[in-house]
Amino acid sequence: MGAAVDHVIPIGMSRGSVEGNDKSQGQRFSSKSKLTALVVDNGGVCCAIQTALLRSYGVGTEAVETGGAAVELISSGATFSLIIIEMLLPFMNGPETAKQIRAIGAQSKVLGITAFFDERDQQEFLAARADDFIEKPLSLEIVIPIIRELNN
Amino acid sequence: MDGMTQLQRQWREHTAYLRKEGYLDDQFEQLQKLQDENSPDFVAEVVSIFFDDSEKLLNNMARALEQKVVDFKQVDAHVHQFKGSSASIGAMRVKNLCIEFRNHCEAQSLEECVRCLRKLQYEYSVLKNQLEYLFRLEQQIRAAGV
Repeated sequence: MGAAVDHVIPIGMSRGSVEGNDKSQGQRFSSKSKLTALVVDNGGVCCAIQTALLRSYGVGTEAVETGGAAVELISSGATFSLIIIEMLLPFMNGPETAKQIRAIGAQSKVLGITAFFDERDQQEFLAARADDFIEKPLSLEIVIPIIRELNN
Repeated sequence: MDGMTQLQRQWREHTAYLRKEGYLDDQFEQLQKLQDENSPDFVAEVVSIFFDDSEKLLNNMARALEQKVVDFKQVDAHVHQFKGSSASIGAMRVKNLCIEFRNHCEAQSLEECVRCLRKLQYEYSVLKNQLEYLFRLEQQIRAAGV
């Protein structure tokens, strides 16, 4: 795929304050095709921030609170360019969620995320075929390269 | 005009103070950048969710530590969530106390956990006051600007 187009593509309407606004107007790497993301986190703060951050770069983002809800959503046909999964989730943990998501055929980039980086958790996530594992907060330094990568 | 610049200066000084004293770090600034005309109350709204979540987590930790047989794994899970949320809004002092707290959970030291929880409750309430003051200034600035 070629480099991301340089001109600005108006991407969608903002959906209200807590969910963030679209800052992709004027960003140099607007998406050629619309990127989508799913945030899987049972913490309201992290959900709101990760969602807003991704949306500000034109990524259509949804959030769910459990691994089960994520699996259900994807099983029903929803596809996402990026899925961010918290390590400690109720009922079914992050790595188990990643495993099930891969098992139903999701080809998304899967990013495990956690409050406390732990090598065992990292291994568990990678064994479940997550692509990467990072410690919170989800920051611009992490998001921007991922979006670039997904655009190419 | 005069009143407006004074309020803005107070806001700038207070924000700088919070950064300098380590109450807030760069992450808070990233949140501020996500706020604009389309989402003018983003930071205040996220912080409001943070206040609600934090108070629940602190209560849950307190209750867990009061049990006859303390489930340190449960306490650790609450600390995990608190560290995640505080790191995400840039609440550096609170986040650092969560790191300390986790060590005490792993050591299963009840006394240290209880002591750490008190420090955490204190730091959290100070941060809450500081942020509420900041948001009051913002409201005044907005009111003056209209």
